[in-house]
Amino acid sequence: MTSLATARRTGLPTRGHNRRRTLAPYAFLAAPMAFFAVLFFYPLVQELITSFYTGPRADQFAGVSNFTRAFADANMRHSFVVTFEFAAGTLVFSILIGLVLAAMLNARLKGSVIFRGILLVPYLTSIAIVGLLWRNILDPQVGVLNRLLVAAHLPTQTWLNTSPVATIVFIAVWQQVGYTTLLFLAGMQGIPESYYEAAKVDGASPWQRFWRVTLPLLAPTTLFVSVIGVISSLQEFALPYLVTNGGPGDATSLYVFRLYDVAFTFRDFGYASALSYLMLIVILILSAIQLRIGRRDHGE
Amino acid sequence: MANDNPAVRLRRGSDRLFPGDRAIAYVAVVLVCAVTVLPLLYMISLSLQSNAEIFAGNPVLWPAQLQFANYASLFERAPVARFLLNSFIMASLITLSHLIFDPLAGYAFAKFEFRFKRTLFIIVLATLMVPFFVRMIPIYVMFSQLGWTDSYQGLVVPFLSDAFGIFLMRQFIEPLPNTLIDAGRVDGASEWRIYRSIILPQTRAALAVLALFTFVFQWNNFLWPLVITSSTKMRTMPIGLTLFNQEYFTQWNLTAAGSVVLFVPTALLFFFTQRYLVRGIALTGLK
Amino acid sequence: MPRSATSHSRRDALRLAGLGVAGLAGAGLAGCSRAPSTPSSNTTTSTGSGGGNKSKTFTMYWNPGHVYKAYEKVVKQFESDHGVTVNWQKYQWPDLQTKLQTDISAGTLPDLVEQPGGDTAISLALTGDLLALDPYIAKDGEKMGFPSDWQSASVRPWQHGGKTYGIQIHLTCIQLYYNKTMLHDAGVEPPSTWDELLDVGPKLTHANTYALALNQVASYSDPWFLQAGAHLYDADSKKVLTPRDKAMKALQFQHDLIYKHKFSPPPTASSDYEGPQKLLSAKRAAMILSGPWDILPIKQAGGVDLGLALPLKDAQRKTTLAGSGVVIPAKAPNPDLAWDLIKRMTALKVELAVTEEATQTMPRKSWGKQPQVKSNPVVNAIAQALPYGVDWAQELAPTGKLPQIDDAFNTLYQSVAISNADPATAMSKFDSAAAKVLG
Repeated sequence: MTSLATARRTGLPTRGHNRRRTLAPYAFLAAPMAFFAVLFFYPLVQELITSFYTGPRADQFAGVSNFTRAFADANMRHSFVVTFEFAAGTLVFSILIGLVLAAMLNARLKGSVIFRGILLVPYLTSIAIVGLLWRNILDPQVGVLNRLLVAAHLPTQTWLNTSPVATIVFIAVWQQVGYTTLLFLAGMQGIPESYYEAAKVDGASPWQRFWRVTLPLLAPTTLFVSVIGVISSLQEFALPYLVTNGGPGDATSLYVFRLYDVAFTFRDFGYASALSYLMLIVILILSAIQLRIGRRDHGE
Repeated sequence: MANDNPAVRLRRGSDRLFPGDRAIAYVAVVLVCAVTVLPLLYMISLSLQSNAEIFAGNPVLWPAQLQFANYASLFERAPVARFLLNSFIMASLITLSHLIFDPLAGYAFAKFEFRFKRTLFIIVLATLMVPFFVRMIPIYVMFSQLGWTDSYQGLVVPFLSDAFGIFLMRQFIEPLPNTLIDAGRVDGASEWRIYRSIILPQTRAALAVLALFTFVFQWNNFLWPLVITSSTKMRTMPIGLTLFNQEYFTQWNLTAAGSVVLFVPTALLFFFTQRYLVRGIALTGLK
Repeated sequence: MPRSATSHSRRDALRLAGLGVAGLAGAGLAGCSRAPSTPSSNTTTSTGSGGGNKSKTFTMYWNPGHVYKAYEKVVKQFESDHGVTVNWQKYQWPDLQTKLQTDISAGTLPDLVEQPGGDTAISLALTGDLLALDPYIAKDGEKMGFPSDWQSASVRPWQHGGKTYGIQIHLTCIQLYYNKTMLHDAGVEPPSTWDELLDVGPKLTHANTYALALNQVASYSDPWFLQAGAHLYDADSKKVLTPRDKAMKALQFQHDLIYKHKFSPPPTASSDYEGPQKLLSAKRAAMILSGPWDILPIKQAGGVDLGLALPLKDAQRKTTLAGSGVVIPAKAPNPDLAWDLIKRMTALKVELAVTEEATQTMPRKSWGKQPQVKSNPVVNAIAQALPYGVDWAQELAPTGKLPQIDDAFNTLYQSVAISNADPATAMSKFDSAAAKVLG
């Protein structure tokens, strides 16, 4: 009892409190981690085991051959490359456009709240609808876009055929633009005015202020967008499935799209699992690199 | 302070990149918004077109006659009201669960040191890096042995929490000042009390963000509901929509009408939580 | 970074709580309406009835495009005759595949499943997931006319290792669909051979209209190969697309149609088949290659006087067969009932009712001879074409490598037709892909 009173006076934690504090994180994590154990770790470990087997019932032991097979598989290699192009394109344009739009909206344009709302509408729409809608609009023969271009005496487009990867990058960026803009906008609005004042006193032009103040202070936001963006675009499935069905040929046959075929059409679950884990390793490495870069910048 | 007054800030000449830059900014933003919203307006147009117009092959911009009957037809051809209810129940329950569990884990990762913390966090984060269908079949087998197929718990349980939500909450809770927590401890409050009365109130904005993203994602979730349901009355809306595709052609007007109906609740939720979003994300320690 | 601890009003907190309350209300509902189910039998409650239904449940997976009123009547009769409730679940083909796979993994199978073709059925049969129907056929085959009354080319695709695993229920084929008015105005007859096509092509191709719109889906290119005298796989020589010179001729011909003669616009990669039908309906294509599935959209779009002609001929007049069939999973809870339903749904008068309702065409030989069929010019034209049909994949399906070869073939066709690849180069790429798969 006395020690508690002493603690209150001196502000030091007591032994009992210490133990509660050490146990506390485990208590807080107990329920979520129990859930993760049953619904994430257990199935994922089970599928990892499956990746060492082959056949439609995944019952023929195959050692690491599923993994080595992946490297020799020209289709998967091609899918991997295309997926990287897709992810890079989506990330770069999302960030660029998001930054520019956020900067514009941050300058207190009238009605920016309405613009923010409109920009988020594609993000709120189901990807299934987004894919089918754009497929409908962009069709060279019977799509609305070309009909409008013809009416305006402009040349028509055949982007779905000539530049299919660029087209699905465009659709992905279109859907995400509101989300990235919102994140950057929030980031910008969190930057204290005092930094800008200091820069102005130093005689910095608006352009310089953007480069020297805004961008560096936005780095953590950019990091978040980039990490999450890489994780999700490398796993993109819905757009190739809905818009081009992987075509023309296999031009937009993204990694997870092809993976899905391996699992459900070719019925080789073991191979599909192995491919999933290979991509997991890639994403882990990329995320680690990004987080390392982010941490280094933060130290400045 | 005069410096914080936006009106004063804007009047400074050195704020202009070049003359007319505000006008260009306006035009750019309006253009981008147009590209953003016009396709969805086209979807509304599709939903009001007649069968002749959608099969015609010459795309129609705006229907000759607004076929509001398509919406009625939607509800007649399939139990769409039931699908919407199922979607709503599923998305709400999952959102609620995230709001309870994610901050718990986020707090533990943000404010405590313990053995294997970093390893555990990386493992948790790694669950984001595999597509859902990798864990789909083991979970389905598990659930069918439990008798949970074609049920609400079957729909909901795989998604009660996830790494994205935990990551988001962690990012938010981390920058909260430790002095608040220490003060609570000095006062002899239990850890749980600190969490409930000190931490949680600070996270309201982030919880709103989490609620919106979770609800929207689950509202549009397709693959798991497809697999776990086996009766019409348990179907959710996105799967219900596939009923309007014939084998070789899409009944575009009905599908579009269904898509518009699917979109309305998420739009409503968005307006509900709008005010939290920018402020909430600003406070998630992402800068 | 200073933050205000209580920047949100009570009102906001209530709003958030409101969401939670709605969720809890949902949770209350959840408790009431959980449908009980056990792993080995599908006793989920059905679509029509309310709670407390104790009758046996019969589950079937079907394509939403084939839920005809005639079938609905048959199912209702089936329900009352057997005292069961039918849980009739509809899925698009890819979704059906996903669902079936998960069911197989967990052992929770439906009783009757529609399948898009014999090749997918054989893939399931190879892994022991389908019931062999021979005992049932031995008992009832003669009475129902199977296989005697079925077009012979529609029986083999569902057979493997001497056993029959599925029954064809709809039979379609690809043939020439054309706009009578446009051909009449150009003063030409529908072409019957490749040479005639080359003749009429220029007369039907103008600034914004095409003579023949080709499809983006690779399976629409199969008939050209057959007509040139090639086929997909030769089991003896283990060669694909053989004889090779004839296959190259077919590939080159299609390439020329698009890029040399410009009779067809380049197709667009997509997940649907609608492009050519839309062009025909818009009067921007005089002819397309299609099947009865496009008849309804063309009619609904209106404005086109539709004519049908036989498949084209080069070395031979041939086309590919399509159309769905039904299978019974090996672990189906009620296989006997499933067989009974199959018998009912394939009865001649049901077939005729479906044809009447939806212009769907049927595998029975006797169907083609009925007055209802003969008197309908469109349906009769299809009935005339069906005997020229063969199954494209039946040699390859038993190897279990069909999906992978299909994938490579799809790349082959699309790269040539859509991306204007050189046919010879594309073909050699196909060869190396096929070699990797077939070993």
